[in-house]
Amino acid sequence: MEEAYRRITEYLNRFSDAVSSQDGASLSSLLSLSSNHPFLLSLADSLILFQDASRVFKQSERFSQYSEIITHLFRSLQNYRLGNLVDAYQAFEKSANAFIQEFRNWESASAWALEALYVLAYEIRVLAERADRELTSNGKAPEKLKAAGSFLMKVFGVLAGKGPKRVGALYVTCQLFKVYFKLGTVHLCRSVIRSIETARIFDFEEFPKRDKVTYMYYTGRLEVFNENFPSADHKLSYALMHCNPRREANIRMILKYLIPVKLSMGILPKDWLLEKYNLVEYRDVVQALKRGDLRLLRHALQEHEDRFLRSGVYLVLEKLELQVYQRLVKKIYIIQKQKDPTKAHQVKLEVIVKALKWLEMDMDVDEVECIMAILIYKNLVKGYFAHKSKVVVLSKQDPFPKLNGKPIES
Amino acid sequence: MMNQGVSTETIPPVDSGSLENHHVVDASQGQTSSYFPPTAGSDAISWTIHRADHNSTQNGTLPSSTSTYQYDYHTQPPTRNVQEGLNAASLPSSSSSLGTANVSQDYNGYASYPNSTDPYGYGSTGYPGYYNSYQQQQQQQQQSNQPSYQQQQFNHSSYQQQQPNHSSYQQQQPNHSSYQQQQPNHSSYQQQQSNHSYSQTVGAYQNTGAPYQPLSSFQNTGSYAGPASYSSTYYNPGDYQTAGGYPSSSYSNQNTLWNDANYTNYTTHQYSNYTPDTTAYSSGTTTAPSLHYQQQYKQWADYYSQTEVSCAPGTENMSVANTSNVGCPIPGVSGEYPASNTQTPPSYTPPSWRPESSSSELASVQPAAGISGANDGYWQHVAPSSQILHTSPMQPQSQKSLDPKTSYDIFQDQQQTAYSQVPNVQYPANNQVPQSYQSPVQTVPSLDTRRVSKLQIPTNPRIASNLTFGFPKTDKDSSTISAAAKPAYISVNVSPMPDEKVLSNSAADSILKPGMFPRSLRGYVERALARCKDDTEMTACQAVLKEMLTKATADGTLYTRDWDTEPLFPLPNADAVNKDSFQSSTPGSSLPKYKRSPSRRSKSRWEPLPEEKSVDKSASVVNNTVKYGGWTNPSERDRKLFMGNNESKENNFTAMKFSPLAQKNASKNIQRQVKKQRFADGLNAADNGDASSDSDKEQNLTAYYSSAIALANTPEERKRRESRSKRFEKGQGRPENNHFKPKNAGPGNLYSRRASALVLSKNFEDGGTRAVEDIDWDSLTVKGTCQEIEKRYLRLTSAPDPASVRPEEVLEKALDMVQNSQKNYLYKCDQLKSIRQDLTVQHIRNQLTVKVYETHARLALEVGDLPEYNQCQSQLKTLYAEGIEGCHMEFSAYNLLCVILHSNNYRELLSSMSRLSVEAKKDEAVKHALAVRGAVTSGNYVMFFRLYKTAPNLNTCLMDLYVEKMRYKAVSCMSRSYRPTIPVSYIAQVLGFTPATPRNEGIDEKDSDGLVECVDWLKAHGACFIADNHGDMQLDTKASCSSLFMPEPEDAVAHGDASLAVNDFLTRTSL
Repeated sequence: MEEAYRRITEYLNRFSDAVSSQDGASLSSLLSLSSNHPFLLSLADSLILFQDASRVFKQSERFSQYSEIITHLFRSLQNYRLGNLVDAYQAFEKSANAFIQEFRNWESASAWALEALYVLAYEIRVLAERADRELTSNGKAPEKLKAAGSFLMKVFGVLAGKGPKRVGALYVTCQLFKVYFKLGTVHLCRSVIRSIETARIFDFEEFPKRDKVTYMYYTGRLEVFNENFPSADHKLSYALMHCNPRREANIRMILKYLIPVKLSMGILPKDWLLEKYNLVEYRDVVQALKRGDLRLLRHALQEHEDRFLRSGVYLVLEKLELQVYQRLVKKIYIIQKQKDPTKAHQVKLEVIVKALKWLEMDMDVDEVECIMAILIYKNLVKGYFAHKSKVVVLSKQDPFPKLNGKPIES
Repeated sequence: MMNQGVSTETIPPVDSGSLENHHVVDASQGQTSSYFPPTAGSDAISWTIHRADHNSTQNGTLPSSTSTYQYDYHTQPPTRNVQEGLNAASLPSSSSSLGTANVSQDYNGYASYPNSTDPYGYGSTGYPGYYNSYQQQQQQQQQSNQPSYQQQQFNHSSYQQQQPNHSSYQQQQPNHSSYQQQQPNHSSYQQQQSNHSYSQTVGAYQNTGAPYQPLSSFQNTGSYAGPASYSSTYYNPGDYQTAGGYPSSSYSNQNTLWNDANYTNYTTHQYSNYTPDTTAYSSGTTTAPSLHYQQQYKQWADYYSQTEVSCAPGTENMSVANTSNVGCPIPGVSGEYPASNTQTPPSYTPPSWRPESSSSELASVQPAAGISGANDGYWQHVAPSSQILHTSPMQPQSQKSLDPKTSYDIFQDQQQTAYSQVPNVQYPANNQVPQSYQSPVQTVPSLDTRRVSKLQIPTNPRIASNLTFGFPKTDKDSSTISAAAKPAYISVNVSPMPDEKVLSNSAADSILKPGMFPRSLRGYVERALARCKDDTEMTACQAVLKEMLTKATADGTLYTRDWDTEPLFPLPNADAVNKDSFQSSTPGSSLPKYKRSPSRRSKSRWEPLPEEKSVDKSASVVNNTVKYGGWTNPSERDRKLFMGNNESKENNFTAMKFSPLAQKNASKNIQRQVKKQRFADGLNAADNGDASSDSDKEQNLTAYYSSAIALANTPEERKRRESRSKRFEKGQGRPENNHFKPKNAGPGNLYSRRASALVLSKNFEDGGTRAVEDIDWDSLTVKGTCQEIEKRYLRLTSAPDPASVRPEEVLEKALDMVQNSQKNYLYKCDQLKSIRQDLTVQHIRNQLTVKVYETHARLALEVGDLPEYNQCQSQLKTLYAEGIEGCHMEFSAYNLLCVILHSNNYRELLSSMSRLSVEAKKDEAVKHALAVRGAVTSGNYVMFFRLYKTAPNLNTCLMDLYVEKMRYKAVSCMSRSYRPTIPVSYIAQVLGFTPATPRNEGIDEKDSDGLVECVDWLKAHGACFIADNHGDMQLDTKASCSSLFMPEPEDAVAHGDASLAVNDFLTRTSL
């Protein structure tokens, strides 16, 4: 009991010291529930033991102004320690709400408490995710993450204005992205993105780098969903370029989307890259593209269908088929050229059909003809198709234009 | 405006009624005169005078009538014209005419009841409570008060119907109804009221402090004058005693009236004078009640025990007599009353008695239920008797009307307080004059006999007229109100009840042979016959009943069926009969309204077809029983739950219950109180309803109709409202129950039930925390009884009517019918939607549901009705998710196709693809859909049209909707990539124009339909042609490359689907 009391007062002292000395780092360490810091854990135990904790800090004038924050924080901590994550979340959200109120007052000149706010935003998201997991396991509807989303939106509103606070806006945005992507309510990102990108007051480059990378990663993913490959390429590449090279997990996440995007624009990754970041699921795809092996591509897609579908790149990869056809025709063309350069630019349809047959692709003439027409139409092949003679007549100049970072024409 | 319209309409019937009423009134007057004088010394005088005036008033001389009481009574019934004249006269007399007018109306209505003792119960219950609430929330209450008024009025109206004497009551009803309507408009309101008020104004208004003295002049005037003193006097038994028990009761009524008046005044602002009085009064009441009540209750218990002794000897009839006696003594506490009784019998005593008895019972009953354990004891004894009384049924109606409104809650709260008060008053009197009881007892039997045998015949025509008279007005009111606002629906609810109940006692009794049928069935028959207004109708009714009963016997459901909850069949040939009997000048207005009550609603809402066969209807209605049973069940459950726990506590009940009341009164948080109280009341009501099996039917019925009226779009809301309204009606329905079936309810049963109900109510009272949400709403689910296979779809705007909802078996047939029907899609869609609706309403979610949705989805797909398809699809998704079997694969394929082809949403496609199970991916249809997706995303038109031709199920239909786009894409692709030409035959074959298999025949058959179609299509899209050497049509790709365009769809129609022909719509509207 004595010990518990001592711990609680110590926490209170630390808290109040951190605020009065504007020590953001130590303040945030006091708020970081999920850090499982031994101090916090022992505090939680003390709180469980010492039921009437609020009495302690209500006695002192010094703590009373934070009583709203701390009461709920203590309750949250207590529940967190006891494994009642839903309750912990609820209490934490209240505490965080109170914190924002205080935060508004603190943030006049400098943004010293931003770090604490970051911790808060992070904690609330993580706590909400865990609370949702608890809810689902109890057969209830998970709703906490949604609540966390709206809370973070509130935080975003606090930060999005002018002034030094604005630096923190991107962090909150990224937390919001995480929430929305997890919830599958990606469309909600749009408003946040707009307020980040249209605000000219604050240059994007002035945001912290880590936030920029995260932001670019998520917006890049959004562009993949929208099939806007050049933009996706740009954003994901930015993320990749600025990502801390030691954060391999992060790099891998970026590459997971960047590679399909690049593939769809005709840029193939080196094998070692796939190896290094353990993205072997793309290896066959790349191989298929290199070889014009339709069968391999289809096989690869089928093999990793679940993964690709989940990450949302399936349809991107599927569209590589046309490039594979192009490669195939190109190979035929090259072979023909080796045999008889004069007639090389005329590729008979039946040859292609036969080649596909070798690949165990059972396609009849009409179908192949259609695909050739599409290839020509999409400018993957230059030339024309003569229906009467069933021949693809290739252009003599650059019959197979390379994409070189441009997306396939539609 | 609405009021005016109503008033005008009502007038004609009123006239006719008034004539009849006059007679009735006269008879009643004789009775009443004898009655009242004994009861209340001062009042009695005024009363008698009034009655005399009554006659005059009917003639148009109303202004002269000194006693406001009667005056209102009769004057109201006469049409507005009379009233207006009266008003003119009255207005001058009353300086504050407007405010007074309001008061007077209420008063009138009440006053009349007080005479008959019913008002007593009502007034006391409703008004005191009201009063209290008023004090606390004056502003809020004003609004709420109005509803309460309506309710009370309705009560009166119902009253009238039952009792011949009450014809005057009926008249009042119309007035009240108009009053209700008017309430929104104070000006109009006041005017109408002024008619009534004027009489009162004379006495009451002169003295602001003691406005009531004239009315309540009895003993209380002195007490009234001073607000503080008023409260005290009110509670003092001594005062009452001096006045005589009866006066005291009337006094209470007056008080209530007075409150109302204040209330109204308050609204008008003129009556500021009164408000202080009221407040003072309320304060006194609020503080005092708890203590007083308990004591009083004990007294009650004593009282009841005494009454029991007297009652016990009697058989059923005897018990009836006893009850009436009991009721009489209560109102008439003083010895005077018995005297009146004795006098009355020769004349119309029975009717007059009944109201009194019922009223007295009501008063007693309600307090008992709500208030004290002592009452329980009382109930046990009294209950049987109370059932006998017929007047009570009316109350439920009023309750219903009240239910919807918040005011109702207040009302109930007040009721409790009122109860407490009432008992006080009555008590001393009762104790003092036990002897008087016996004498009334003797009279009673005579009354019963009369009722059964003689009363019916002579009174019937009269009653009928009265009924019509009363009904039309109420109906109108209700209708208008409903149009205007929620209150309306309340009023509407009321209307159905009167029909059923009017003659129930007399007619039913005669017809039924007791013992042959289950009690509940007898009650049902009674009710059914009670609605009949004359002999012809009675015979018709009997025929229907006989049919029903034979059928039931054949089914074997005679004893199993829950007759209590069985809805009444519509009156056969009501129109003709009514007209004849009524003599009413305006048959059109009165009749239709009259009919409106139960069956008509369903017609108008559900059955678009104008001509309904009443017989058919009745059959269907009979089927409703099941549904009704459903209704009652939940409450019963609840009751049972509570019974076990609480019976032991009954004794304590009084104390416990009252303390909360007092607290509530004191507390400022009115709303919460209201809610709490309401809930408790509702529960009580529900319990009561269940408790007395015989009377359940009415309640259920009313509940049902009220619920039907209540607008509810979502099932939840609907349920909530239903339950809410049901609660209320039931809460007030207690008295009705008791009175309604004199013979049926065994004392023991009633006793226990009542006790349980009380316990229940107490429980809820005590544990105010119990949430409404805890009630099992699912048990309230509608159970359809409609046997018609074909039914048109009509979007629900109210709670579903079980009579028009088809049960599952019928729905199955309906589905079969639709599937085999040769009619067009619109018809089928309509039918399927109605099936879906019925399923939803009944919470049927099984394979049939899936089948219906699947059928509908397929049909919708066939005609390309995507919106409808989407509805079905989303429903199917959840149904499948619940594990109900169906053509899951087929529809997940449809879903895929739909996403691919029509929503074109990348993420949605991804998610629906990733959601496919392994088995699903092996399914033919799903595979096909996935292949289509591939073809579409890659633009592989050859593949697409091949898949189009081999599509399983209705995949083709979904693809159909994409064909145009695909073809256009294909042709533009071809014209870009082919040089120099493409044979049209090839295009026709590849793009699915050729009817037969593409590979062999298509190319060479130039004259095939596909080719021509293709050319037409290409031309329509701006393609350029050239003919080759063989004369074959060739597409000039280079030229076409730049000339292709997507034409505006020629067949575009406003409703977005060209496949739905205009003619279909035309035929549909004429259906």
